[in-house]
Amino acid sequence: MFYRLSGVYRVNYVSDGRMFKVPADRNLAVVFLFLGLAAPFIVPSLYLNSYMLPWLIWTAAALGLNLVTGWAGQLHLGYAAVMAVGAYSAIHAARFGLPWEIALVIGGLASSVIGSLFAFAALRVKGLYLALTTLAMQFVMDWVLTHSPAISGGSHASLQAPTLELLGQEIVSDTGYYYVAFGWCVLVTIFMLNLKRTGLGRALVAVREKDYAAAILGVNSFYYKILAFATSSFIAGVSGALLVATFFFLAAPEQFSVNVSIQVLAMVIIGGLASVIGSYFGVALILLVPGLVNGVVTSASQALGMQVNVETLAHIPNAVYGALIVVILLIEPLGLGKLYGNIRDYLMVWPFDQLRK
Amino acid sequence: MTTANKSANAQPGGKPILECIGIERRFGGITAVTGVDLAIQPGEIFGLVGPNGSGKTTLTNAITGFYPPNVGKVRLDGNDITGTSPYKVAKLGVARTFQNLALFNGMSVLDNILLGRHIHMNPGVLRTALYWWAGRPEEIENRKVVEEVIEFLQLESIRHEMVDGLPIGLKKRVELARALVAEPQMLILDEPMAGMNQEEKGYMSRFILDARAERGVSVLLIEHHMDVIIGICDRMLALNYGEMIASGIPREVVKDPRVIEAYIGGSHG
Repeated sequence: MFYRLSGVYRVNYVSDGRMFKVPADRNLAVVFLFLGLAAPFIVPSLYLNSYMLPWLIWTAAALGLNLVTGWAGQLHLGYAAVMAVGAYSAIHAARFGLPWEIALVIGGLASSVIGSLFAFAALRVKGLYLALTTLAMQFVMDWVLTHSPAISGGSHASLQAPTLELLGQEIVSDTGYYYVAFGWCVLVTIFMLNLKRTGLGRALVAVREKDYAAAILGVNSFYYKILAFATSSFIAGVSGALLVATFFFLAAPEQFSVNVSIQVLAMVIIGGLASVIGSYFGVALILLVPGLVNGVVTSASQALGMQVNVETLAHIPNAVYGALIVVILLIEPLGLGKLYGNIRDYLMVWPFDQLRK
Repeated sequence: MTTANKSANAQPGGKPILECIGIERRFGGITAVTGVDLAIQPGEIFGLVGPNGSGKTTLTNAITGFYPPNVGKVRLDGNDITGTSPYKVAKLGVARTFQNLALFNGMSVLDNILLGRHIHMNPGVLRTALYWWAGRPEEIENRKVVEEVIEFLQLESIRHEMVDGLPIGLKKRVELARALVAEPQMLILDEPMAGMNQEEKGYMSRFILDARAERGVSVLLIEHHMDVIIGICDRMLALNYGEMIASGIPREVVKDPRVIEAYIGGSHG
C-alpha cells in the first residue's frame, strides 16, 4: 500500500533521524499542512470559526497536556487553571498596552512560573496523590479568579480582550483568526514531533517508565518533571490566551473551570498518551462529535417525522458521545492514535501480512 | 576510548578507583550489610558473590546512592560520594546494570542505548524546539558513540527493534551497551549472566573482558556462576548475611571452608 517502507534507505544519521520515518507519513503531513493553509478558501467561514479554529487551539493545548501526562507520565487535573493564568496575564498585558506578541509570551511565562511553582509542591507526591494535588490547584485558581476583581472583574464579570494585532497586522477577520490558531498549532506540533527524537523526549519517557533506571543513567527525575510542567504550562498559557483572543473574545472564569480540565485530560487519553496525531483525533472527538451527533439526531427526527422534545434532544448527543468514548477505549485502550497506528502498520505490509513480525 | 587498557593487571596498593570503608546498611531491625570494606583498583574486574539475601545488591545500592549507607564511606577515585543521589553518582562516572533488567519498554534498542549518553548530552526545550540547528549536531555526535558500542557488542541487527520483545540474553547485552556508552570509570554489573546458558555466558564474559581491555573500565561483577568469577575476576569478595567472609584471589576464595559452607551448606570434610 501507500505506507511502504521498501526502497527507503537510511544511509546516514541525518536521514535516520527524520521526523517521519515512512515517506507516506511525511506526504500525508504535507498534504494536511496545505489543506490547513487552504482551509479558509475551502471551508465556509461559519465552520472555519466554530469548528476548525477551536479544534486547532484545543489540539495545541491538549498536546501541552500530553507532554506532561503522556510523555512525563504525571497526571494533571489542573490544566485549565494553567490556561486561565496565561489567558488573564496576556489580556491584562495587552490591555496595559503591550504589543500582543509580548503579551502572549508574558501569558506563557506567567503560566509557566505558576504551573511549575505548583508542580514544585505537587511533585513531592506521585500518582493519584499528584492528581489530587493538581486538582487542588484548579480549585485554588478558580477561587482566586472569582474572588479577585482586579484579575477577572469578579465572579460574574468578563474581561474584554483588546483587538489582536500580530506583526503590525490588526487581526479582525475570520481568516486571520484561523491562521493565528493554525500557526500556533503547527508550532506546538513540530515541537512535540521533535520530542520523539531528542534527548529531552527520551529523558521524559525514562522518568515515566522507571525512575530508578532513569536515575542511574544520570537523569534527574525531579528536574525533568518540573521542566515538563514548565514547558507544558507555557503551551497551556499561550493556548489559553489565543483561545480568548481569537474565539471567546471575552475571558470569564467559567471558561477555565474544573470540567474543562477534565475535558482536556479526556482529549489526551482518548487520543492516546504520548501520541501527537492522537491528540488531533482526541480533540476532534470530544469537541466536534457532540455537535455532529446533535445534527444527526435532529435531522433524523425530522426525516422520520418524530417529535423529539428539546430536553431529549439535548441529552442524546451526550449519551452517544459517552458511549463512544467507552467503546473506543474498550477497543483500544491506548486511544485513537494507536488505532490509527494499527491500521497504518497493517497497511504497511499489506497484502503480505505474513511478513509482519 | 581515551583510557584504553590503562592496566590489565591491577597494582595492589595503588590508588583505588572505588573504595568502600566499613559500609553498614540497616532496614528497620534488619542489618542487610555490615562492616564491608572493599577497594577496587583501576582496570580491575572484582567479583562479588554470596548466597541470596547476603547483601550484594544492597551494597551496590549503597554505592550508587539508592540506599545510602547508615555507617561507612564510599569513595570514587578518592572523592567521598557517600549518600550522593543516584543521578549525581552516574554523572561522576559510575554505570550499572540491574539484576531484573531496567530497560525502557516501548523504546527501541537504539533509544535505550542513547539514553546511556544522557550525562554527555545537554537536553533541553530549546534544543528540541530548534532541533535542526541546536539539537541535531549533538544527537548525531552521540549517535556515533552509540554506534561504536553497538558494533562492539554486536547489536547491529536489532538496533531498531523494540526492547520488549527481545530474549533475555539480548536484553542483558543491551543493558550492558547502555551502561558502556556512558563511558564510565566504574561499571557495576548485577548478575549480568543470570538465566543464561553456557554459550551466552561465554559471550558475556568476553564482552566484559573486552570492555576492560578496550575501554579501560573497572568492573564490579556480581555473579552466582563461580566458573565465570574464577575465569574473569582478578579478585573477589564473598558475603554471607551481610558480612564479609572471604576475599582475595578467586581460586583461593572458593576453596575457603566458610565460602563452601555458605554456598553449599555444611562443610564436607
